[in-house]
Amino acid sequence: MSVGFQAVQWNRAKLVYDGILLAAVAFYIAAFMGVGISLHPPKSQPEWIDLRIRAFGTCAFLMLTIILSIGPLCRLDRRFLPLLYNRRHFGVLIFFVALVHALSMVQWFYVQDAMPSLVTELMNMPAYGKFIGFPFKTLGIAALLILLLMAATSHDYWLNLLGPPVWKALHMAVYVAYGLVVLHVALGALQTNRHPLIPVMLASSLLIVATLHLLAGWRERAVDRGGGVDSESWLAVGPPSSIPDKGAKIVAAPGGERIAVYRDGRQIGALTNLCAHQNGPLGEGRIIDGLVTCPWHGYQYRLEDGCAPPPFTEKLVTYRVRVKGGGIEVDPRPLPPGTPAAITLPPEQS
Amino acid sequence: MTRKHRSVHRALWPALALAVALGLGLALFLRPPAPVDAPRAASESPR
Repeated sequence: MSVGFQAVQWNRAKLVYDGILLAAVAFYIAAFMGVGISLHPPKSQPEWIDLRIRAFGTCAFLMLTIILSIGPLCRLDRRFLPLLYNRRHFGVLIFFVALVHALSMVQWFYVQDAMPSLVTELMNMPAYGKFIGFPFKTLGIAALLILLLMAATSHDYWLNLLGPPVWKALHMAVYVAYGLVVLHVALGALQTNRHPLIPVMLASSLLIVATLHLLAGWRERAVDRGGGVDSESWLAVGPPSSIPDKGAKIVAAPGGERIAVYRDGRQIGALTNLCAHQNGPLGEGRIIDGLVTCPWHGYQYRLEDGCAPPPFTEKLVTYRVRVKGGGIEVDPRPLPPGTPAAITLPPEQS
Repeated sequence: MTRKHRSVHRALWPALALAVALGLGLALFLRPPAPVDAPRAASESPR
């Protein structure tokens, strides 16, 4: 939660997350270098740098694959939610790993007094018209610039300045960066290095990421299809027992926006499914300490009126709920943010 | 995500995945044959 803009708030969970992340990256780089040295001991400085280029390049690619899998994995299985909590630091670390890869490449040319060759390679305009022979380093540079933009705007300052919808749209550029990186490797290393692991790594990464997204998207479609017939009709949610206690059932309004119908014992309330922080899926959260808690970063709201508890200031759109024929119904017309709208069921209906 | 984000996401992903898969497939199909018994040159540009 925030009271306007605040500097980065560190907590134990973030420190543990970052610690594990850094340790995993350090382990991967050390293992890659160790195996590389034992299989083909570098004999010169350029060969050492080449090994470092490959270690950091593959690390950045694997990290990009993992970070793109986190979102759909969390949709498919809640147990992956801890991975999502500090995903922004993960993204920033990917940028730095990719930066070391890029700087090592520049160093490789520098130590051999071959900087003009690098410039010639990048400025070879006729090559841009080819597929095989395309200056693949340009694709890597473009991806690195996208990662830089995302890392630079990952802070909550930019989230508050741009607003969650614009910020989220901007950060979807990670998909473009991923595509550029796949093609960077496909038109680069894949063309000259015959090691079978390179195509296997590229194809399996693409297959995993695409399959997870398609599966998660397919599952989401079912929720969106469940919308009511028109904006005036109340939406049927189901009997109170169909809503898990301290949890929510998500229904879609006719316009397609989702509504999270929460139950806390005998209290039923409906809030927008969009968290005020990053538009996270509020309906996939839980009620913790009597407050609706977003699964992404723990932003909390009161069920009765959608307001964050003092001193926090966020307010969510709420919806009217009623009981009809033993079932819960929601009015899809949104109420102004912070409007009390929850109801309490009589004991015999709970 | 808002409905608009979800719509963009659903449209972007399959298109991007197809384009990248096509690019990867072409890059594999069109890559030059491996030189016979040619060790990697020390001066080869790093990837």
